[in-house]
Amino acid sequence: MRLDEKFKQLREEKRKAFIGYVPFGFPNPELTKDIVFSLQEAGVDIVELGIPFSDPLADGPIIQKATTLALEKGATIEGLFREFEQLKNSLKIPIVIMTYYNPVFKFGLSNFFKTMHNLGMTAITIVDLPLEESADYIKKARKFDLDTIFFITPTTSCIRMKKIATQSKGFIYYISVTGITGPKSLQYASLQSNIRAIKRVTKIPVCVGFGIHRREQIDKINKFSDGVIVGSGIVKFIDEHYRDIDFLSKLKKYTRLLTA
Amino acid sequence: MKSKANKTDIKVPDKKGYFGEFGGKFIPETISSCLNELESAYAKAKQSKKFKKELDSYLREYAGRPTPLYFAKKLSKYFKLKVYLKREDLLHTGAHKINNSLGQAFLAKFMGKERIIAETGAGQHGVAVATIASLLDFKCDIYMGQEDIERQSMNVFRMKVLGARVIAVRSGSKTLKDACNEAFRDWVTNVRNTYYLLGSVVGPHPYPMIVRDFQLVIGREARLQILKKEGKLPDCLVACVGGGSNAIGLFYPFFKDKKVKFIGVEAAGFGLNSYNSASLTKGELGVFQGSKSYVLQDKFGQIKNAHSIAPGLDYPGVGPEHAFYKSIKRAEYVTVNDSQAIEGFKLLSELEGIIPALESSHAIYYLQKIAKDNKGCTALVCLSGRGDKDLDIIREYTEKSNTKNKISK
Repeated sequence: MRLDEKFKQLREEKRKAFIGYVPFGFPNPELTKDIVFSLQEAGVDIVELGIPFSDPLADGPIIQKATTLALEKGATIEGLFREFEQLKNSLKIPIVIMTYYNPVFKFGLSNFFKTMHNLGMTAITIVDLPLEESADYIKKARKFDLDTIFFITPTTSCIRMKKIATQSKGFIYYISVTGITGPKSLQYASLQSNIRAIKRVTKIPVCVGFGIHRREQIDKINKFSDGVIVGSGIVKFIDEHYRDIDFLSKLKKYTRLLTA
Repeated sequence: MKSKANKTDIKVPDKKGYFGEFGGKFIPETISSCLNELESAYAKAKQSKKFKKELDSYLREYAGRPTPLYFAKKLSKYFKLKVYLKREDLLHTGAHKINNSLGQAFLAKFMGKERIIAETGAGQHGVAVATIASLLDFKCDIYMGQEDIERQSMNVFRMKVLGARVIAVRSGSKTLKDACNEAFRDWVTNVRNTYYLLGSVVGPHPYPMIVRDFQLVIGREARLQILKKEGKLPDCLVACVGGGSNAIGLFYPFFKDKKVKFIGVEAAGFGLNSYNSASLTKGELGVFQGSKSYVLQDKFGQIKNAHSIAPGLDYPGVGPEHAFYKSIKRAEYVTVNDSQAIEGFKLLSELEGIIPALESSHAIYYLQKIAKDNKGCTALVCLSGRGDKDLDIIREYTEKSNTKNKISK
């Protein structure tokens, strides 16, 4: 399923998107498949699948710890593509690849996009690839019909916001606060006015991420956004419970509390 | 006309921060606006006579510029070369790092920032930043890898004495690259009031340009000094390269002097097939900490841990301008390993009574190789720092090899 179909469906159902982030390979490459399925079953609308990178400079301690472990367990891009080969027919929700630039650059952009396309993955976002460096990336992504998701942050100027919006497809990832990933308290008033400013310049859905980990935050943000992205909260839960026998059912239960 | 012909500036980077195909701005969106702010503030500061005057006066009166170009007579005789040392080790705080720290701290003041953060490997950059922060009343936090904190304890104490807070970084390899990541994370969080004082010609544009501009005083002075002493330009310039700031500072003003050979000496650490810091020699094209350049990485694009006995060279990346010089063959990049660097360290100490930093010792050792093929040539070496900070490492290394020798006997 593509992101625009997903958002159309959500609009019809009068719901907001719940986007869950998990890094591939955490706590090990074999378990990612089951985790993604559990998230789908628990009502997650879109999964953002992270490709671990050795130097994640926009991530806080929770995701740093998870991606370090994933790399130790041998998580690679090839491994991710292998696991998802088996998954592509049974997965109903859109998958967004999220990573840092170097692993993709090293793999080769066209090669990477082609494989994504063949596996039915339709969207990508790269943390350290701002608009200025994206010309070639966007061109190649379009060739394989991939959506390119860019970030807008509280420090993004109005002129820049417009430029970013024109190159964004799927949705815009609004970063709630200046800072790295991980639980935070949020300023809803400024958040709301910033989202409104973006919505004045584009019709693309705007989803909010960074710092969101509790149900009441989600409800407040969804009053003015098209959805939320929860990363560190889910990753922390996985970290605390993956050794349990009933881990997947616990994960579903936890996630349902956030999505329902 | 004549002054134009003498002009040594080359036009890199371009507007997007590229040196040929290297450089750029690969950073999270949150930092984009601060890099733009930094870029325009720097352009303004460069035009400001007051800024230049103030900075020049501090470089002279406070840091101790110009530094001497010393003819190392005994070393020259030993190698059968003419060796000149650009004595950056004589600067306040003991290394070339102070040139950049002063420049950027005045820039931070110009921009109205209240707080300065920095990463440090050996602690030399951290000490230089802590020094200027105390001088100009900035709040100052220095990120340093846990491993470096242990091996450079004296510099940690120096920073604390100067009133800076030293924050231990325990993620990743616990060295310079991780300190850099952590400084970026801090900057992303506190962008509005904080200035990130990056210590080398690495990172996203405009840092590689700004740091170079504040370091090229090394080469400008050296060029005038050697012309005065020798009546001609040297045959080659030699400098160690980690991130590459002292080397670019020396090389850049000689760029158009085509007959002057540039030699950048990277750290081969334990060896080129083991852990090393030779990004230009053993690295591949990649994107790391904000710019496209050569990076030590595995086949999956994960950054490798670097190693060098010289903590200031212990970094898996290298400045994009060096990658550019390599690609157009303007500079040659060579390597010297840990034990050879120690040899260089001892040689300069014993022959000239100058204890060099382990980083600069790499450049000193390489003179031996230059001497082999180019007898009698004039080599100008950047002695980027003094070696007091490395005495613990040297002592430990010597004790270890003594025990090894005893066992093998």
